[in-house]
Amino acid sequence: MKSSEILYLLARPQELRSIIQWKLWHQPVHERDPTKESPELHKCFFYLDMTSRSFSAVIKELHPELLVPICIFYLILRGLDTIEDDMTIPLEEKVPLLENFVNILDQPGWTYSGNHEREKDRDLLVEFHYVITEFGKLKPAYRDIIRDITERMGAGMARYAQDKEHVVAGIQTIKDYEQYCHYVAGLVGEGLTRLFVEGKLANEMLMERPDLHESMGQLLQQVNIIRDIHEDFVDHRKFWPREIWSKHVDKFEDLLDPAHRAAALNCSSDMILNALRRAPDCIYYLAGIRDQSVFNFCAIPQSMAMATLSVCFRNPALFERNVKISKGEACQLMMESTQNLETVCGVFRRFARKIHQKNDPRDPNFLQISIACGKIEQFIEGIFPSQVPGATAVGQGATPEALEKKKAEEAESRWDMVYMMLAVLATLATVTLLMLGVAWLAGARFDLAFEQIKQGNFKIPAPAEAAKQVQEARGHGEL
Amino acid sequence: MADLLQGSLGHVVVVGGCGFLGHHIVQQLSHNVETRVSVLDLFTNRNRIDSPRISYYDCDITNLETVREIFAKTKPDVVIHTASPVFSGPQNELMYRVNVVGTDNLLKAAQEYGTRAFVYTSSASAIMGPVGTDIINADERWPVVYGDAQPEYYTTTKVLAEKAVLAANRTPATLLTCAIRPAGIFGEGDVQALPGMLTASRKGQSKFQLGPNNNLFDFTYVGNVAYAHLLAAVALMHTHKLSVAPLDSERVDGEAFFITNDQPVYFWDFARTVWREAGDKVAVDPSKIWILSTSLGLLIAGIMEWIFWIFGKTPNLDRSKVRFSAMSRYYSIDKAKKRLGYEPIVDIEEGIKRGMKDLLRREAEANAQKTDKKGQ
Repeated sequence: MKSSEILYLLARPQELRSIIQWKLWHQPVHERDPTKESPELHKCFFYLDMTSRSFSAVIKELHPELLVPICIFYLILRGLDTIEDDMTIPLEEKVPLLENFVNILDQPGWTYSGNHEREKDRDLLVEFHYVITEFGKLKPAYRDIIRDITERMGAGMARYAQDKEHVVAGIQTIKDYEQYCHYVAGLVGEGLTRLFVEGKLANEMLMERPDLHESMGQLLQQVNIIRDIHEDFVDHRKFWPREIWSKHVDKFEDLLDPAHRAAALNCSSDMILNALRRAPDCIYYLAGIRDQSVFNFCAIPQSMAMATLSVCFRNPALFERNVKISKGEACQLMMESTQNLETVCGVFRRFARKIHQKNDPRDPNFLQISIACGKIEQFIEGIFPSQVPGATAVGQGATPEALEKKKAEEAESRWDMVYMMLAVLATLATVTLLMLGVAWLAGARFDLAFEQIKQGNFKIPAPAEAAKQVQEARGHGEL
Repeated sequence: MADLLQGSLGHVVVVGGCGFLGHHIVQQLSHNVETRVSVLDLFTNRNRIDSPRISYYDCDITNLETVREIFAKTKPDVVIHTASPVFSGPQNELMYRVNVVGTDNLLKAAQEYGTRAFVYTSSASAIMGPVGTDIINADERWPVVYGDAQPEYYTTTKVLAEKAVLAANRTPATLLTCAIRPAGIFGEGDVQALPGMLTASRKGQSKFQLGPNNNLFDFTYVGNVAYAHLLAAVALMHTHKLSVAPLDSERVDGEAFFITNDQPVYFWDFARTVWREAGDKVAVDPSKIWILSTSLGLLIAGIMEWIFWIFGKTPNLDRSKVRFSAMSRYYSIDKAKKRLGYEPIVDIEEGIKRGMKDLLRREAEANAQKTDKKGQ
């Protein structure tokens, strides 16, 4: 840990507490048993750790039924991704590789060393035969699912790699953008869902609602694309679709130009709105999971995505550097996402409100964002209602405690009022006394005023008459 | 606008058809060439739509004989009853006479002259307790609140009328009834929601926010409410054609339905959108907004009430307004979606734009008239 990190955490004890709590108290639902694993599988877990920072921990805690299939599924997709990402592989080599990747899964001993030396996950493909060996040992049903997704994803990636316009000009329409997210994430959602259902760890109803797992993938991928705008721009990649950014700026480059920061922020709201609308589907999806380890596996990334949306929302730093959630917050989210649906709903509501509180009425999507946040809250109320029928009728449905509380509150507000009036009166009295005191010091003759009042003279006497009265009162005249 | 009806509704009487909601219903009906419309209203000289298929009748519904005369003449297949006095002050007698007696008269006439479908405009407040009691995703299972438990007499009269309408269902067997409970209607012709917010802005009150603005609220565009009435009438007429009684889970007759835009928004976000349309520069700048906590707002409003009371006036801000702007009030409309096939046809933001365009035009006209008078 760097000293700057330690300083950061010392200043935020709440986050430090979350980290300590997570490290101390988190008990994996399941733990893999390395002693029973083959050397090839051992290698696979080694590559899982190497290629994935965020996913390896949750994958390794999965139910034993799906631990290995999902690990292998992940590594296969990572292999595909490593070929797609590498811009040094010539197209005529890349496209057939992507399209035929599904056949490679059934070729024992296949490896690939064509990646650039600096490609970070190069070694995975150099030793890909370990993955192929373990793939061959999976149950046939799992293999079929993985093959199907690999084939469709490979075909999709090949199409995008060949699409010059996409590479040079970036993504054009919102439809293209969602199509792209479908290939790189929606398909993963489908594959995982089929594995969960096949392993009897999720409700089979999830297969009848493909829009739900599509939303799971879309939300995660869209959040990545939103968060990575700066990094992708530096790498000359344009994932924000023209259909959205052209409403706010003239050229894509303007998004990163500080002179257009206000427009860029409005554009980021537009992107965030699109992602936010997927949130209720994701909650619905999570409700269909039966196994705790699968629930954790699905819920953690979703909670992180909501948190990321909330830090990115109306944050100018998004266009200057990589915006991230802090380690402490991440630990707190992991704790909250490894319990139950209600707690995760609480996380969704918290970030929906955080986003709504940062919403700016001058943003063209102001009301639509408000609606999207409201929809998340309403959806959660639909699953975990905070009100029961009759709650609005005092005397009919309200509990005695609630009535008691209400009475107490009313009494309190009445006393507030009394205190307020007393305070006002006291202030007035003090000011009056002060004024009288100052007047007295300055020589005011209150004794004379009293004298007059006693005699019943309430009118202010005319000056000449007053002088005469004063003289009379003193009992002697002056010459 | 396109015809929203499929097929004919026959002869429709729209009671209160020159009012805010009523004239939107008449407007939507006017696009259907097979439907004849008779409008009943206390005064029929405003909000008139010129069409050979629409007739206008001056009618005081509190007078049973007048109502009978018109029903004898028109013999409507469908009655859509939207008439209600504007919610204001404790005019108990008028509210009772129009909402309760008037509705009873219409029901009697409908029963006597063979009306087949009767749709009543109730109110989403029917389940509302004292102002400040949250309504969170409520649906039709929530009981209506009236009589001693209902602090607003207006709402009590609406509930009594709704109960009478629903009780008249299938008496006689040829009469089917239902009630629509819209929440927070706004739009063109609006005299309450949008004008109230515009006045607040013109007086410079839009820079204050009461409460933390986490309270969700349903506001419903008038065109959507009108559309729901048409759907309800169609559904009742369709029920007549069934050879067996509908399943309890599909029934429309004898039922009440909440109608909203299905887009609950945070209360002040709606207001700020209205103010943005009104060109208010302060209300849209978060750095210029003063946020008062609900309890502080109640205290200030309480003091204002006292001070104004001394001078015998009512303040612009009172405690019930503070409670209103800090409470949650939104509904689930799953029942209307499922049984009426209802979906809002106009988005809330589009609705605000339409309503404000109309309101700003009316404001400009009123101002022009004022300057004209001054100039004379």
